Amino acid sequence: MSKTELEEDLRATFERAAASVPLAPDLAGRATTGVRQAQRRTWIASGAAAAAIAVVAGVGFSLNHGSTSPPPTPVASKPTAAVTTAAVTTAQALAGTWRPVKLNGFTTLKVGRPDDPTLTFRSDGTWTGSDGCNSLAGTFTIGQRGEFTSHADGQRLIECGNVPHTAVLAAARRISTDQATLRFYAGDGREVAIYARTR
Amino acid sequence: MDFEEYASARGQELVRLGFTVSGDYQRAEDLAQIALMQAFRSWRKVQKADDPHTYVRRILINSYLSMTRRRSFTEAPAAEIDTDHTVPDPATDIVNSDDLWRALATLSARERVVLVLRYYQDMDDRTIADLLGIKPSSVRATASRALAALRKTRQSHRVDERLP
Repeated sequence: MSKTELEEDLRATFERAAASVPLAPDLAGRATTGVRQAQRRTWIASGAAAAAIAVVAGVGFSLNHGSTSPPPTPVASKPTAAVTTAAVTTAQALAGTWRPVKLNGFTTLKVGRPDDPTLTFRSDGTWTGSDGCNSLAGTFTIGQRGEFTSHADGQRLIECGNVPHTAVLAAARRISTDQATLRFYAGDGREVAIYARTR
Repeated sequence: MDFEEYASARGQELVRLGFTVSGDYQRAEDLAQIALMQAFRSWRKVQKADDPHTYVRRILINSYLSMTRRRSFTEAPAAEIDTDHTVPDPATDIVNSDDLWRALATLSARERVVLVLRYYQDMDDRTIADLLGIKPSSVRATASRALAALRKTRQSHRVDERLP
């Protein structure tokens, strides 16, 4: 086969493939909405951070300028209840970044995505992550015996075979974890998902 | 031209470009949307470019190449395939029969991108080199290597067809 013939075939193949692509609706609207919502989330986060800094600065100012009120009790002092101790310990064990290994009913974990679909839990009761192409965030609580509840405030903007972390977290009523593995269980005891620690 | 006008006029072209480089409709639409979102964020800068469409195509191509460099980028099927929940790709039937389309999937991402830019987007090697941030000689070498691989693949298929 000559080079020219191959090149002509290539042009025809690309044209045919491109012509087969179905019409993608409202690309402009989806792009602008996605960016504006991301900007709004950034503004809210920035505002919250500024408010937190202002509070901390205010406390520091009052302590340094002879406030007559008694100093606040240190947070890390003696635990007041067994429940609190267990919850903190479990949240600390959960802290870190996890990648999905198995999600029941979800079969395309290994498909390539723009971002690594991970979940990161923090000991302060917040979590962040990515479903593969959208940022996710929320809060969680852990009870004395691993009872788990969560709230997600993320929103899916881009389709990419999104990993349904939020569905896992919403379905989970109990968790168990060791150094390397995190398991979520539904209310009836069925295992919902398995994650592995990345770091 | 404002962003909405650009996206309405050229958005579908971006999806098509995404499909020719990735071979995956879902990914093509994501690539187009990623490119448009990035363009929208810095639209003033995009407008000032000599050719705004080339600027956005550069974003799309670089997003695709970055995507393929990620460790998690694979097409390996999952162990448990749930055929009841797969989404049919309307483009699949049309292009699946094309041997050359299949052979393109065996090329590296960069080789395929160079061929798409050269033979689908009709860009010259200097423009491709500028878009990819490499030298024109590298573009020529990559294209030459890719064409040789395609020729070899097609020839071997033709021999296979003659076998009993």
